[in-house]
Amino acid sequence: MANEVQPMEKGSPSPPVSGGATIKTPEPPAKEDVLLRMNKELGRALKKNEAQRKWVMVIDLRRCIGCHACTVACIAVNKLPPGIVYRPVTIQEKGKYPNVTMNFLPRPCMQCENPPCTQACPVHATYTNAEGIVVMDYDQCIGCRACIAACPYGARTYDFGGTYTEGTTNEETVVLGESRADDYERNINIEYGRKRVRTNKHSSPIGNVRKCHFCLDRIHNGVLPACTTTCIGRATYFGDADDSTSLVSELLAKPNVGQLKAEFGTKPRVYYIL
Amino acid sequence: MDKKILYLVGILGFAIGCWGLADFLSAGDAHTNYGSFVVWGLWVSLYFLFGGIATGCFIWASLDLIFHVPSFSGTGRPALLAALVTLVAGLAAIALDLGHMDRFWKTIFQANMSSGVAMDVWGYTVFGLVTVAALIVSATEPKNPTLQAIMWIGLIVSVVVSGLPGKLMGNNAARLFWHSSLMPLQYLLQSLMAGGAMLLVLRGIFLRDLPGEYQPGLLGKITSLLVLINLFASYVFLTQSLSGNMPEIAQPAQQIVFGHFSTSFWGLQIVLGSIVPLFILFIVRGSAGSFLLGLAGLLILLGNAVARYLVLVAGQQVDPLEGLSSSFSGKGLTLTYSPSMTEWAVACGLLGLVILGLRAGFDRFLPLAHSPKE
Amino acid sequence: MNDITSKKTAMITRRAFLQSSSCAVAASAAFLRDLPEACAAIQKAFAAGEDVDFFEDNPENQIYTVCLQCNTGCGIKVKILDGIVAKIDGNPYSPWTLWPHPAYKTPAKEMGKIEGAICPKGQAGMQAAYDPYRIMSVLKRKPGSKRGDGQWITLPFDKAIDEIIGGGDLFGEGHVDGLKSVRALTSADMAKEMGEAVKKIWDEKDKEKKKALVEGFKEKFKDHLHTLIDPDHPDFGPKNNQFMFVWGRMKGGREDVVDRFVQEAFGSINMNGHTTVCQGSLYFTGKSMSSKWNSKNGEFDSGDKFYWQGDTGNSEFVIYAGTNLFDANYGPPHRAPKATEAIITGRKFAVIDPRCSKLAAKAWKWIPIKPGTDAALAMGMIRWIIEKERYNAGYLALTNQAAATAAGEPNYANTAWLVKINDKNEPTKFLRASEIGLTSPVEALDEEGKPTTHYKTADGRTFTCDVPVAMVNGVPVAFDPVDKKAPAVIGDLLVSTEIGGKKVKSSLQLLKEEAEKHTIAEWADIAGVSEKDILILADEFTSHGRKAVVDIHRGPSQHTNGFYNNNAYYTLNLLIGNYDYAGGSIKAKTYDRKGSKKGQPFPVTKMFGSHHFTAFGVDMLRTKTTYEKSTLFDGSYPTKRPWFPIASDIYQEDLPSIGDAYPYPIKILMTYMNGSVYSLPAGHTGIEILTDIKKLPLYIACDIMVGETSNYADYIFPDVSYLERWEFHGSHPSVPWKVENIRNPAISLPGWPTVSVYGEEIPICFEALFLAIAEKLDLPGFGPDGFGKGIPYRRPEDFYLKQVADIAFGEKEDGSDSVPEANEEEMIIFLKARRHLPPSVFDEKKWKAAVGGNESLWKKVVYAMNRGGRYQDFAKAYKDGQVTNTYGELINLFQEKTAKCINTMTGKNMIGLPTYLPAGTDYLGKVIQDNGYDLHLITFKTITMTKARTISNYWLLSIVHEGYVLMNTVDAAKLGIRHDDTVHVTSASNPEGVWDVKGGRKIPMKGKAYVTEGIRPGVVAFPLGFGHWASGSADMTINGKLIKGDKRRTVPLHLNAAMRIDPVTKNVTLSDLVGGSAVFYDSKVKVTKV
Ligand SMILES: Nc1nc2c(c(=O)[nH]1)N[C@H]1C(S)=C(S)[C@@H](COP(=O)(O)OP(=O)(O)OC[C@H]3O[C@@H](n4cnc5c(=O)[nH]c(N)nc54)[C@H](O)[C@@H]3O)O[C@H]1N2
Ligand SMILES: Nc1nc2c(c(=O)[nH]1)N[C@H]1C(S)=C(S)[C@@H](COP(=O)(O)OP(=O)(O)OC[C@H]3O[C@@H](n4cnc5c(=O)[nH]c(N)nc54)[C@H](O)[C@@H]3O)O[C@H]1N2
Ligand code: SF4
Ligand code: SF4
Ligand code: SF4
Ligand code: SF4
Ligand code: SF4
Ligand SMILES: [Mo]
Repeated sequence: MANEVQPMEKGSPSPPVSGGATIKTPEPPAKEDVLLRMNKELGRALKKNEAQRKWVMVIDLRRCIGCHACTVACIAVNKLPPGIVYRPVTIQEKGKYPNVTMNFLPRPCMQCENPPCTQACPVHATYTNAEGIVVMDYDQCIGCRACIAACPYGARTYDFGGTYTEGTTNEETVVLGESRADDYERNINIEYGRKRVRTNKHSSPIGNVRKCHFCLDRIHNGVLPACTTTCIGRATYFGDADDSTSLVSELLAKPNVGQLKAEFGTKPRVYYIL
Repeated sequence: MDKKILYLVGILGFAIGCWGLADFLSAGDAHTNYGSFVVWGLWVSLYFLFGGIATGCFIWASLDLIFHVPSFSGTGRPALLAALVTLVAGLAAIALDLGHMDRFWKTIFQANMSSGVAMDVWGYTVFGLVTVAALIVSATEPKNPTLQAIMWIGLIVSVVVSGLPGKLMGNNAARLFWHSSLMPLQYLLQSLMAGGAMLLVLRGIFLRDLPGEYQPGLLGKITSLLVLINLFASYVFLTQSLSGNMPEIAQPAQQIVFGHFSTSFWGLQIVLGSIVPLFILFIVRGSAGSFLLGLAGLLILLGNAVARYLVLVAGQQVDPLEGLSSSFSGKGLTLTYSPSMTEWAVACGLLGLVILGLRAGFDRFLPLAHSPKE
Repeated sequence: MNDITSKKTAMITRRAFLQSSSCAVAASAAFLRDLPEACAAIQKAFAAGEDVDFFEDNPENQIYTVCLQCNTGCGIKVKILDGIVAKIDGNPYSPWTLWPHPAYKTPAKEMGKIEGAICPKGQAGMQAAYDPYRIMSVLKRKPGSKRGDGQWITLPFDKAIDEIIGGGDLFGEGHVDGLKSVRALTSADMAKEMGEAVKKIWDEKDKEKKKALVEGFKEKFKDHLHTLIDPDHPDFGPKNNQFMFVWGRMKGGREDVVDRFVQEAFGSINMNGHTTVCQGSLYFTGKSMSSKWNSKNGEFDSGDKFYWQGDTGNSEFVIYAGTNLFDANYGPPHRAPKATEAIITGRKFAVIDPRCSKLAAKAWKWIPIKPGTDAALAMGMIRWIIEKERYNAGYLALTNQAAATAAGEPNYANTAWLVKINDKNEPTKFLRASEIGLTSPVEALDEEGKPTTHYKTADGRTFTCDVPVAMVNGVPVAFDPVDKKAPAVIGDLLVSTEIGGKKVKSSLQLLKEEAEKHTIAEWADIAGVSEKDILILADEFTSHGRKAVVDIHRGPSQHTNGFYNNNAYYTLNLLIGNYDYAGGSIKAKTYDRKGSKKGQPFPVTKMFGSHHFTAFGVDMLRTKTTYEKSTLFDGSYPTKRPWFPIASDIYQEDLPSIGDAYPYPIKILMTYMNGSVYSLPAGHTGIEILTDIKKLPLYIACDIMVGETSNYADYIFPDVSYLERWEFHGSHPSVPWKVENIRNPAISLPGWPTVSVYGEEIPICFEALFLAIAEKLDLPGFGPDGFGKGIPYRRPEDFYLKQVADIAFGEKEDGSDSVPEANEEEMIIFLKARRHLPPSVFDEKKWKAAVGGNESLWKKVVYAMNRGGRYQDFAKAYKDGQVTNTYGELINLFQEKTAKCINTMTGKNMIGLPTYLPAGTDYLGKVIQDNGYDLHLITFKTITMTKARTISNYWLLSIVHEGYVLMNTVDAAKLGIRHDDTVHVTSASNPEGVWDVKGGRKIPMKGKAYVTEGIRPGVVAFPLGFGHWASGSADMTINGKLIKGDKRRTVPLHLNAAMRIDPVTKNVTLSDLVGGSAVFYDSKVKVTKV
């Protein structure tokens, strides 16, 4: 149950760094924001054939400050309704006063190479696409939630319908009111290249299971995932691990890289730096 | 029991169910309490229960229709009907549980056979077809070879299918509490017990005036034995989960045995659902057609319902990651689950459906013409 | 592995599918081959939803503006789809969101796919705009109901304006004066004349002569005395002053309009902001330490109201003291990456905070200090640093500007200046050269030819004033502090001697003696930390040259001793000489938005049509003149309420001063974006006053909803949200680049009402309120000739676009500092991006006209607006290890000006040096003992919440959905409290533990306990932002219709009402009477399990 991130076989585990010194000599600040570098690398990867890209996400737990910007950015870009969250961040307090620290663990979908969730789906509504991203077909999904039960990471949530604005006032002459206020969440729900209107209680993706898709539409259009661009701790990295010069490849070569619950044999494409 | 009362109870349940259904259809999932951690609740456990009773009944029916065991003579067709009725209720439960009922057909025509759910659906579909066939064939000619063949196929299917929910759960490595090879076997055992219990219910409640030498003793004894075996299986399963220090496994067992499920576990599953019926069956021993037999059967079914529910729900009340459930709040993002009004209402409806189905079935479709004296 | 998992998804649109006859065949073939994709394709063809082009990256769907979900002001890029905000991201040009930020000249088009990082509140911004509880009509308190009853009626904008101007029996409670009658003095010339006469009265020190001047005033203006509040106190000023304008969060632009409206047009001296609720003492410590030497009179002028922060991106070691970097501050997007970079590159930082903040959790060292004792910890460090001579002696010895210039230093300090010591061994003033005969006075003429006194040395050098003295190798030397060309003076640092019978000590000596008042162990004891920690901190701090910094914020500041805590920490920075150094202490710099530099196109603040009014008089907060100068002075102390010679914008004193009618009664209060009763410590005391129609006859608020404070208003005028309006957000001291952020309308809400002012149709908003009043009262500075003959001020952008033009033009007379003109491509992007805005908001012609129709200027404006502001290039902020946007002047270790000020409650002089004073004192300076209330209450911000404002942001509420009482496991165990138990908080000044919010409601201060190891035992804390009673949380009726509140917004808890009420005045929080801060961290409470 603990959010153990297991180091990968190739490297020896390094002790969790709680903010102390690992490298002695101070380094000057970077020359370019990593977001710009990754943006360029993304452009490069898009020029390649789909099957040649190996999208991965690397999350540096030393740099994560538990701010939840990624959580909300993801909600905003996907207009997630109440109860749906693609990228929560867990907070665990560790230690005894005054030696206290906190571990923050952002958890997108691991985009497992060996995903138990897709195997659990009775109707092929969730599957790994050509680029290795585990996607949803909302129009195929019957909403049985077997995939949620099968995911060891809790990375899937069920769309019960509803909006965040639901149940607020609707006295339109004097206040903005629900029916105008919810335009932003009701009308715009774009995923997998599709704009969906949440008009009735049964129109997909209502009644479907939903999950992080590595911001498929954004990356196809050369924009980094929303959780990555808004990561104020600069703890989240995204890119093509097949490109040996990419930032993510550089990071993955380090010994202090691990995966979450690797013992499940899921082979996550999300890596954590310890 | 008085038919009228059964009709009344059935209609009442059905009416409540209709309200529940209407509410569910208008509000969507907004009024249900299952969620994104506890994804399967009352309805799924009812699906498993009804499915279990159905396959169990079929297996029991083979005592009459294949093996012609005298003391079960005449129970075959009623058991088949019960299998069909409970299967329908079970499938209704699972269909409602889906976010998109209208796409239910996909599980058959676009199935992914590596999925436990798809296997289940296919299993129950085949099982349903076989049951219907058996019913039809048995209506015309009780001892014909076609029926024998169908019954044999059905028997094998029933045994396999009764274990499928167990396999569905047991296969799931993400829910370590379920992830046990004991699961399919447990489900088979439970089905056998539930089938027996259902027969007791039929005999003691629905078909009290069934003529003939009906031997309650043997049915009661075998069922009692199955109750005992199931108790033992539960014991093995729970103690095994409790030992060792994997919180993902121990915690649900802890919750069942000592935690907030303990009242249901000890009160309903163990005392009311096992000990009391054992007491009735061994000590009181009702005569043929005695209501007490039916009561014992009902209690066993209740205990079984609770048992299935507890394992299903408790197994999901574990944070997949430490702190995950407290990292974000919203509809369905909680580890605690108890069925909502709507869920209960629909459950009542399903029970009503079963009662009406059985009653009406016995009254209209199963004149039981040739079953008693043959 | 499953082979069905690696096939390409067929993209078939519904139309394509239906048209293609072979499709069915293809689909069925696919059906067998790769089932999932086929399913997807078929489903997609028939299913709901439509394919959309990716819109996010198209610059024509993006408007660059500035976030105001907190006060950090990150640049944002608002992505718009069908006129609705679809997503908010960071503006990549802004140094707040990328580090380093890309070149300003990058074409807008290239930025389409690039976005910077912003925090969760920034991401959730649309929920503030699309808040169902936004008010869309003017609300008036229903006649017959009481303030706070939640009973409203709507009325047309024009009617509402007429009512507040005309007054009358507006509520059936009797006559109320309107703005018209309060603006009794209408002649600008008369105001100027009276103002000058009042100044003479103030400058007169002799009691009798002062009296005579007052009589003379009454005589001279005998025909106009009715325009005064009190003819016996002409320095109360005109009745106009009885209109008071108080804002909470307000930024440049709107602030400039307020200046224009309140002071220059309406003629009231009373307008103030919320500085002291925020980090007041920090600003006023900065002001005192930056107090400027005046070479004309040999005295100190005021310093600048500002503060320093760390340039932490370049620091090798940082001590964050009471700085909540990862959750709050200015702000996480900008500051967090610097700290996380430090984590992985091994640059250490320590955190001094009673609570284990997220920052502390990641720190090399967390020092859980006892609240209110920061100065003690700093003093311990100072003692060690001075004893071990670890200070930067070379820098500190630079005694004047000339020495600094010669040494290539950006600034210098008065460390070596000699201070006179009185009999009680207290420092008084700097020694002046003439006092020890180093110079002697001579008659002379000043630059303007007026007679003045100069001072000559024996060797014939002349000073324009009586200059200070420093020891140079044991010899006293007179020196010119500020003249770059004067002889450089390198003074002796530690001096304690007598010169000509006068006891003198150098400033540094004074500091040393102050630090020697206790041993380091004793200092550690006071601060509740270990001596070892002090030593380690001091050692580390002095081991990185100038690349170390103490970065402070509200934690040390918001105490009764806040000024001195800040002062002590800033002094640590001074000791290593890190001011204006990369990695050291820096200050903010912005492009001039007022056109005050020569050559700038629009000197907006000076462009004032007809006569501009000079407001005069004692202000309600008693900050603009001293008690001793005023006609209220009778030699006695304490005064009824304190006067504030150093601080200003004393937010917590607004309502109590109105309540006490001190110095005079207020008739009309207008508030803007003001949450004072919610945000102030002991803010509930303000509710009592706001609801008393005798103390406050008319209360007008401008708000976007019925907020916690506007809840008590008589009228609420709707405003537009930050996504719909103009403002210039300015900068913060941690930003080394010269910048200005341009907030401008990105959206207009569906159905948003418009009003007509000066014949123009504009959205109902704050500006509309002012413009409409100005129109009806015929105020100068507004209307067709508002900026001068033929230059109209009729629309909001008439003002703001001129300011944008000034910013775009830059500060060089020849325009060489201006931004380029937008090219064709950028012009198109600009226009298309605004295609959804209604003409009442955006009309190209009108916008262009606002910048004088000047094509080139307009294109420059567009260029800047396409970038959301103006940002200096990354590399330009640093040169040779120093910052280029420097503070660059004298830093006062000993603050003569502070030492001269009198605390009017005690009658004693203030202390002009860093010192440790116990915290938690009442207005008379006595330490409060609240026996029986044993837990120390502090507060903090979570990243998801800002003040009263983010409760409407449901996404954020999903992350932290209610407030809680954070307490240590040890305390919890003692009280039998477990995690998540409900607890009740009470205090000596609120023993009932409730918020009495009127309207028959009392909200108990109850909420969940959060039991943790991460807080100092004995201290409890709570996060800001919950425990609402308005802001959409409560039911209200408008026109008899019930507007149901939203339960999610009522979640507990807010403990400001548990904070200590000053036992002396009984209607205000505790305050730092030097630095002005409202006090958040010096209250004692009891926590009980319910
Ligand atoms: N999320 C969010 N961010 C914001 C704002 C917001 O409302 N929400 N507001 C913005 C504004 S207006 C401001 S002024 C800034 C404020 O920025 P900060 O001042 O950095 O933030 P606060 O949370 O007020 O920080 C106070 C810190 O001081 C600690 N503290 C309390 N008492 C003491 C003490 O005696 N000594 C020391 N050393 N520490 C103490 C508290 O535990 C807390 O961590 O934040 C800005 N950013
Ligand atoms: N417990 C606790 N209290 C604190 C703090 C803390 O850390 N802990 N921090 C303090 C700090 S740092 C500060 S700066 C103060 C801030 O205190 P304030 O400046 O008083 O409060 P705000 O919440 O910024 O804004 C006040 C009100 O403005 C209204 N409003 C919101 N948006 C708009 C708008 O767009 N237009 C108009 N016209 N009105 C609007 C709302 O009614 C809101 O209640 O709070 C302080 N209070
Ligand atoms: S993390 Fe879960 S949802 Fe994501 S691919 Fe892996 S198993 Fe599937
Ligand atoms: S919920 Fe949808 S995606 Fe998940 S297993 Fe069921 S059908 Fe597949
Ligand atoms: S990659 Fe996109 S979908 Fe996935 S967590 Fe990040 S923002 Fe959400
Ligand atoms: S945005 Fe970055 S720093 Fe913030 S919680 Fe997410 S991963 Fe951590
Ligand atoms: S830090 Fe403040 S200004 Fe910046 S994005 Fe967050 S809420 Fe907006
Ligand atoms: Mo603030």
